Amino acid sequence: MSTVYLSNPALTINSVNLTDQATSAVLTYVFEQLETSAFGDTARKFGGAAVTSLQNNTFEVTLYQDYSAASTEATIFGLVGIQTTIEVSPTAAGLTSPSATSPLYTLADCYLESHTPINATLGELSTITLTFTGGTLTKAVA
Amino acid sequence: METYLVTSDRLIFKRGDIVTAKDLEHVNIPLLIGGGHISPQGVKKSAKTKDTETEKDY
Repeated sequence: MSTVYLSNPALTINSVNLTDQATSAVLTYVFEQLETSAFGDTARKFGGAAVTSLQNNTFEVTLYQDYSAASTEATIFGLVGIQTTIEVSPTAAGLTSPSATSPLYTLADCYLESHTPINATLGELSTITLTFTGGTLTKAVA
Repeated sequence: METYLVTSDRLIFKRGDIVTAKDLEHVNIPLLIGGGHISPQGVKKSAKTKDTETEKDY
């Protein structure tokens, strides 16, 4: 077993590689919990072989704000209120050549509800935190 | 199928590559164009030839 010190992850938002602007990324894979307990049960049950619930995934990312061409603001501003696709991998190589040790996670058709184009404090680098919700998550290892 | 020229270093494709809409599945293409990442490649029409031999009747 090896524990990952995540120093070189890579991500794309709407196919645009913003790895060099990212400082944190959290992908949460969720299937909603549906109760399937019934009479006769002695403990609560959730899910089951015949019960498939909805995915309810989220992806939260923090980026440095950059107003230059083809960078953060140019990529993000137009995504608010529409669906897009996120790709994220523990390594840069995983974006193009995923493997078992460097899987590629793709969150397709996720939704960006809000964005803070201006988030500035005197003397600090401007950052934005985005939360993409919904969408279907897939994991590629080859 | 519509094709696009990659004009940015921020895509997984190399600058100068030609990609199709299928390569950009689930991606918002108008935003990539607006962001300067890709440029649509229109179908080039052949130049119209002017018929200089035909005389017009007035």
